[in-house]
Order: sequence, then structure tokens, then C-alpha cells
Amino acid sequence: MSTAMDRQGVELLERLGKSGEGKSPQGCMQCGLCAASCPLGYAMEFPPRKLILQAESGNLEKVLASPSLWMCIGCYTCSLRCPRDIELTDGLWPALRDQSLQAGIQPPAELQETFQNLFKYGNNLGKSPRQRLDWAKDLDVRVLDLSKEPRPVDVLWLVGCYPSYYPRNQVVTRAFARILTELGVTWGVLGAKEKAVGECERMFGEEGLFETLVEENRKLLDKCEFQTLLTLDPHAFRALQKFYPQHGAWYPVKHYTTFLHERMEQLKPLVLKPVKATVTYHDNCCVGRRCESFDPPRELLGLIPGVELVEMERNRENSLCCGGGGGGMWLDAHIVAHGGHRLSDERIRQAAATGADTLAVSCPYELSRFEDAAKVTSLEGKLRVRDIIELLAESMDLGERNVS
Amino acid sequence: MKHDETLRIGVYVCHCGTNIAGVLDVEALAHFAEGLPHVALARHYKYMCSDPGQELVKRDILEYNLNRIVVAACSPNLHEPTFRRAAEDAGLNRFLVQMANIREQVAWVTDDSTEAFTKAQAHLAAAIRRVAGHEALERQFVQIQPRAMVVGGGIAGIEAALTLAEAGKDVILVEREPTIGGHMAMFDKTFPTLDCAACILTPKMTAVKLHPFIKLLTYSTVESVEGSVGNYRVKVRRKPRYIDESLCVGCMMCIDGCVFTQAKFPNPFDQGLGKRKPVWIPFPQAVPPVPVVDPEVCLQIARGKCKQGCVTACGERNAFRFDQEEQIEEYTVGTIIVATGFKAFDPSVIPYYGYGRYPNVYTSLEVERLLNAGGPTAGKLTLRDGSTPKRVGIVHCVGSRDANFHPYCSRVCCMYSLKLAHLVKEKTGAEVFNCYIDVRAPGKSFEEFFNRVQDEGTQFIRGKVADITPANGDGAEGGGLIMNVDDTLLGTIRKIPVDMVILAVALEPQADASDVRRAFGISCSAEGFFLEKHPKLAPVNTANDGVFLAGACQGAKDIPDTVAQADAAAAKALALMDAGQIELEPNTAWVDEEMCSGCQTCISLCPFKAIRHDAERKIAVIDPALCKGCGTCVAACPSGAAKQHIFGDEQISEELEGLMNYV
Repeated sequence: MSTAMDRQGVELLERLGKSGEGKSPQGCMQCGLCAASCPLGYAMEFPPRKLILQAESGNLEKVLASPSLWMCIGCYTCSLRCPRDIELTDGLWPALRDQSLQAGIQPPAELQETFQNLFKYGNNLGKSPRQRLDWAKDLDVRVLDLSKEPRPVDVLWLVGCYPSYYPRNQVVTRAFARILTELGVTWGVLGAKEKAVGECERMFGEEGLFETLVEENRKLLDKCEFQTLLTLDPHAFRALQKFYPQHGAWYPVKHYTTFLHERMEQLKPLVLKPVKATVTYHDNCCVGRRCESFDPPRELLGLIPGVELVEMERNRENSLCCGGGGGGMWLDAHIVAHGGHRLSDERIRQAAATGADTLAVSCPYELSRFEDAAKVTSLEGKLRVRDIIELLAESMDLGERNVS
Repeated sequence: MKHDETLRIGVYVCHCGTNIAGVLDVEALAHFAEGLPHVALARHYKYMCSDPGQELVKRDILEYNLNRIVVAACSPNLHEPTFRRAAEDAGLNRFLVQMANIREQVAWVTDDSTEAFTKAQAHLAAAIRRVAGHEALERQFVQIQPRAMVVGGGIAGIEAALTLAEAGKDVILVEREPTIGGHMAMFDKTFPTLDCAACILTPKMTAVKLHPFIKLLTYSTVESVEGSVGNYRVKVRRKPRYIDESLCVGCMMCIDGCVFTQAKFPNPFDQGLGKRKPVWIPFPQAVPPVPVVDPEVCLQIARGKCKQGCVTACGERNAFRFDQEEQIEEYTVGTIIVATGFKAFDPSVIPYYGYGRYPNVYTSLEVERLLNAGGPTAGKLTLRDGSTPKRVGIVHCVGSRDANFHPYCSRVCCMYSLKLAHLVKEKTGAEVFNCYIDVRAPGKSFEEFFNRVQDEGTQFIRGKVADITPANGDGAEGGGLIMNVDDTLLGTIRKIPVDMVILAVALEPQADASDVRRAFGISCSAEGFFLEKHPKLAPVNTANDGVFLAGACQGAKDIPDTVAQADAAAAKALALMDAGQIELEPNTAWVDEEMCSGCQTCISLCPFKAIRHDAERKIAVIDPALCKGCGTCVAACPSGAAKQHIFGDEQISEELEGLMNYV
């Protein structure tokens, strides 16, 4: 006997097949490459292949209610390896989560809190928009707030939520402001008006909330005149590069690693101070694996005198995710409670195994995740976690001590 | 076109059972045709291609003095020859027949019957207006040289060459490597019978060498192909061996005599696992049994200074020729069989399998060499450190059935993986784990072989292996490996410790397949294998007449299928050569001498090199035997001097008029 819910699974797969993203999930051959490639696949009741199998077999209800629906951390490994080219990360998972929310099933409590924060404050952290520019207090370079002083600039920098509010990230944010200024580009930010880009919300299946954010951000951005839209957050970059255009909002967006890499020649004479460090670089998933930008961050690190670059066993397209994407940032407890583990703990051990003393990152989530992981794994003090920006700034003598 | 009293067109609408009549009102269509200019009669009939159908046409031609025929039926690719012959039987020139394709182009692709009818009217009107302008043409024939070239000396080329030679035809067999034998010569055993590959292959190789009708050109490649069916002129580039083949007796003393006492250069025949000297031979039963000198590493050639131990060892034979140079030889042949084989997929592009990074991850072809008694370990299956593996993982579908690499199934990997599982177990007693997506064993005795390998204790795990990682996690040398795989039948993810991984790599087109394709004027299908003329009904023909395909260059296949296809290609080539002549397509281009200004625009554009410039008369001349009727010159000619039979301006414009103004 076929119920309405039975059909819904097949209809959802059919819809995805026609969405133009990858090939139809109905072409899945159940090879299991996704499940075994997924760093949390072992703990999932329904890894990607089983999501498809169950949805096709009329068991969509089971899938939507499963805790494993909230265990994908958006690392794209399954999507890129899938031998049938099915877009699992950007397509299947958000669609199922959307369906689950629409069916009135409660997502994990910690997610509900971030949704509410975003709704109320325009950021997942629940911080006041008035504190958006706190990071720039007493900064020795001028921060132009385009929402107050509109004027054409080379770069509109979407600072992002973590880089704006989180103290550890603010250090990086300030360093980047100095680097931008040192490079002679004119740049500005949106100040208190800035809002989250909404990548996580899309991955959570909060398509409606995401669309609202696109609309609000579009209104803001369309008022500004700029050549490049810059982000520190690879997830925001991904959303602006891929999902915003799907809603008619196209901007010339770049992740900071790409932006700086294009200015290597200009940076070369500026990185003079040796930074004595053995560095291993952790590829973030969105700019790395998904957009295959592996060399630019390494070449930036290679610029710095004194830096010795070593590779982890898993690197580049094979890199292991820190566990923070796709909403993972808020789901550690949920994932651990349902048999998973914190990927950042596993990853930092891999970094330590290289013998490096510094783990270089290029994503705002990773700083806090890996610093927490260092504590848990007793690597604190042995392995420093630093953003590429910090290393560059140190070498350019633009580090924190220069605050006037 | 003005009304011409003398034109009497007969129109025949075919039902094709329900293929056409199920969608179109064939009676109304015939009735529509009756009302068109020059139509003397119009009929509809259930199967026009049947004998009574053809008889109908013949009878009408005689009875009603018809001088043009239009058949509205299937694609002209299928039955145009049938109706041309019928017309000819009734005394009408065969080129006064035109087909309207109302099946493939109308009935099969148009759901709405009203729309379909309108479309069929247009096709029919176009054919009727067109055929009115047709003229009677002479059939033209070209002589076929009774000599064949076979390109590629693997099992496909060997088989085809032997079949042709046994039928008494001269054969030129061209092989790129220093020996014939191809991939089959690298294998240890063959599935499912476990015949020793060398035991069944080397007699055929020797037969090639001894056959008086076969001229064997090894270490040679095809440089260019000119001409067309019956008279191909092929230039062959012969690389220098630095040894005179006619003087060498294959004693191999030179290899012993070489000043390099140790073999230290990677042997490509052993997939680099074994070593060779600068003067070397791929394997002991190589044909011809003549060593070859690698000029890159031979001291005499590379540096001009060596004690020449090889020359001393050769002694009175005096076969060494360090000054030998590349040579181009030209051969004229009637037919060509392309049998250039496949390339094994290089798995180093898949980052998660660690090939090239972890020493004990091997390709299947490497393991074939390790298992082969003539290989680098004399048939002993060992890990890089010389120890015997105890647990071996075999990963199916590496590069096959994968949209990121090759979406197609390589057809032979399941079976060779089963064979390897058997051989590994037999030689080492190791535990073997075959990780597969589906086991495809559809050949004769294949399923039984699968069952046998199961019974021998090989474990089968249904799942595509994800990561292969070092057992100790940090990639240090010496450790074992872990295969990470979703056991999809068990529903759990398993981490299987092994000390050797064999990647069952895909078969892919040769790296230079597109150059070969261009040289022989043939096409490739999407994945890059050479394209047969028809997937079912012309599996060894190509779009280029007189050029045939055999073996894995046409698509991944096993040895029995390759041999069968090679014999089929040989038979097709024989049929052509024994007929002695072939009819040319009538739609060739010709030059109106009065109008040609001799600008030579057409000459460089002709893809078949069919046009030459007559310097004396200052005009272009088209060789009808070479012209394929593509029309490029006709479209390009600035003075309108290049014209084409059956595709004259008037014929085309009448056809278009018919299509657009059929009502």
C-alpha cells in the first residue's frame, strides 16, 4: 500500500534529479563509496546511499526523523567522489533537512537556538549588531564603514560573524585589515548593517531563512560600489559564489586566499621578517576540496621566510574536514551523542603526526575548533593553530603588537 | 520547377506494420501525394520492403511508364539499396529513386498524429519535388588492391593478420613496440580456463613470424594514410633498433656482453617493476627475437664512447648499426584493419587509493607481471620488501563505472579480478578480499568460475572501496594497509587490514587514439574508443570504407571477443578484396571546367585530399574514387564551379521548397 509519504521520497529524488545540480539521485548504484568516504559515515543510521535507498523505498518518514540527518558536516567528500556524480552535499542533504523541518520534526535543540539568534540578531552567535565593529576599536588603520560613508571602493569586505565577534578571530581580522591597507587597496565594511551570509542556514535546510538573508544582503550590497567582494569565511564564499547567483544575486566574490594569492608579487617584498615555524596546512573544504584551490594557500605560506611546509597524510582533495561545516559548528554534542566523534580532534592528531609546530588554517571556524581540539588531545603548547593571515602579518611586521 | 509532361512519378507509402501506420493515416498520405505535380500514381502498402512490395514498384514502372520513384518509409540507410535495385530490375536508372523518411524522422518521434501527418506531408512533398530533378547516373567502381595492412600486433592484430594470410592475401603487420604480443603477452593466465597466456599466444606469434605472406614491421608506427578504399597509401615510420634485423639471429649474446653488468633501467614491459639493460628484449619469446638498443641510455649512442661489449659478443654476425636512422616506408594496400588496443588506466589520479604513494598498492597489470614466470620476480608474488603477502585486497571498478573517470564498465575487470584472486590464493595461500559493486560474469563458463573462486574461500564484499590508508595512520614505510569500505550487504562500514592492494584498473583508449583516428579517417565514440559503423549491424566496419576495427581499440573486451572480432574484421576485409572492386557512392563532387577559375580554395579544404590542381589547364580536378561527397568544396567554391551529383543546387532548393511549401 502506498501512502502520500511513500510517494514523497520518490518525488523528492525526482525533483533533485531535475534541479540541474549533478545527476539524479535515482541513478545511485548503492556502491557505498559515499558512506565509507564520509568521516562520520560509520556513525550514521542513514549515510547518503541509505538516504536515497530509503527515500526511494517509501521510508522517507524514517529518514526525516533520524538523528543522522543532522550529522553531515558539509565536507563535500561524498559529492566529489560519487561515481554517479550525484550532488549529495549541496543537493540531497539540504533538501531532506528542508523536508524534515517542513514536516514539523524538531531539529537538534542547539540548531534551533542558532536559528533564533540569526532571526533576532542577524548572526548565529546571538551578538548585538552594534558590536559588529568592536574588533576595529583602537585599530591603527582606518576602517571605512560604507553603511555610514558610502563611496566607491576596490574591496567590500564582508567580515563575517566569527571574525567580527569572537575574540580569538578578532586578532586575525585586525591583522587582515592592516594587510589590506598595506597593499594599498581601498576597502570598506558594512559595519552594524552586516548580516550573516546564510550558508549554514541553507545547509540546515532553512531555505526560507536563507532566501530572506539573500534578499536583505542583496539590498545592502547593491547600494555599494566595489570591484571585489571579499570574505574570510570559505562557507560564505561558497554561498556567494554558488547559491546567491541562483537567486539572481551575483557578486565578484573572492576568498581571501585567492585575493592575496593574486597579489603575491606585491606581497613578496613585504614579507621580510622570518617566522621560524614548521607549518602544516589544513585545507578547508569549501575553497579547497569543493573549489579545488589547493596551491594558493600553500604558495602564500611558502612566501614567508623561515616557514617550512610539511604535509599531512591526508591533504588537498583528500583532506579531513574539521567538522565545522554544514552546521557542524553547532552540532558537536549531537554528533557525539549519536556515536560520532569530533573530527577536529582526529585532524589535529594528524597534524601533530607531521612533526609540525604550527597548524595553518584559512577558515574562521577552524581556529576555535582546532584550539579546542588541541586542549582535548593534550597538544596545547605543542601545536599552535594560526590563520595564514596571522603568519603573513607577522612576517610583514603587522602583528598585534603594533596596535597604537 | 516548371511542369514537365514527361515526368511520371510513382509514390509508395509504407505502413511498416504499425510502425508508421499506427501514427499516420497512410491512405490519406497517399491521397495527398496523388494531388502533387508530376505524380502519376500513389499507393500505400503494408511492407514495401517485402517481395510483393518491391514487385509492386517493378510492375508499376513497366505498366504505367513511371520514370521516377518515391518511397515514403524508413531511413534510406536501411532500404534505399533495396528500392534502387527494384527500379533497376524494371529498367529504370537506380538514381531516379528517392526515399522520404517518415518512420525515424516522423512516426517514431512525433506523438501527436495531426502534427505527424503535417510533417509527413512535408517530407513527401520534398522528396517528390527533389526526385523530379534527379538525373540518370552511371554506377562507378574502384579496383581493390589485394593486400591488407593490420595496425597493432596484439592478439587482435595477430589473429586478423593470420586469417588474412591463410586466405592467401599479403599482409603488412605494423606494431609500435619492439615485439608483437600486446597486453596478452604480459598476462600470466587467462580467465576462465586458466590457460597460460604465453602457451596459447606464442604459437600464433611464431606463426606470424614464419608466414610467407606476412611482412612484420615492429618498432614502427603509421605516419600518414592517403587514398581511399582499395588503394590506401600508408607511410610507416620505422624507428631504429640499432641492430640489423636481417642479420640478428636472436642469440641474445649482446645482452650478456653489454658493458652494463647490472640491468638498471626500468623495463616498461614489466610495468617498471623489473630492470633491463640498454640493449634489451621485452620477454624471451619476443617476435621478432631481435633485441633493441635504447639510445637514451646506450653509452655508445648517448655519449659516443663505449667499449661495445655487445658488438664483441655479436662477433661475426656484425648486426649492430649504431648509425641506423629512422626510415619512412610507403605501402599501398586495399584494406586496413585497425587493432591498436587499449591502455590501462593510471590510478594515481584517484587520490584516495594512494597508488604511487603506498608501495604495496599495485595495479592489476603490475600483479600480472609479478605472477608471470617471465616477469621480474620469476612468478613469485611478493611485496616490495620481498615478503609474501598474507592478506590481499582486490578493488574492482578502479576508473570504471565512475563519472569522474570513465562512466563505462570495462567489461573484463570482474573476471580478471576473479582470476587474480584465484592465482594469489594458489601461489601464496593469502586471504583474499574482492570488493566489488556488481560481479559481472556473463560469458561462457564465467559464472561457474566466479562460483569456483567463492568456493576457494575468497571473500566477496559488496562495496566500492573508499580510502586506502596506512595501518599505522601516519603513512610511515613498512606498515600494512587498511581498506575502508561500506559493506553494503551487511550495512556497516568495514576497515579491512591487508598487506597488498590490487587495483582492478579500467581499460581506456590509447593516449594517441585521437591521432590514430584522424590518420585513418574514422570516428571515436564519446569515451574515445573507435566507433564502429553500426553498433549492431556493422560492428567491425568504420565510417571509412575499407578500414575495419578489431579488439579493444573499439571498446573494452576480453580475449575471446577480441579474437572473434579480429576474424570478423579479416572476413570483411577479405570480402572486399575478393570482390576485387567496390561501387562508389554516386554523390561525388565534380568541377565544371568552364567555370573553374583555378583559385585552389577547394584543395586545402577537402578533408579527403580528393582534389588536385591541374597546372596545365589551371583548374581543380576531383578524383571520384577519393571523394566522399561531403560537399565542402561545393559550398566553398567562390565561382560555383564545384558541383555535386544528387546534390545539385536545383535538387536541394526543390527539396527545400517541398519541405516548406508542401500545401
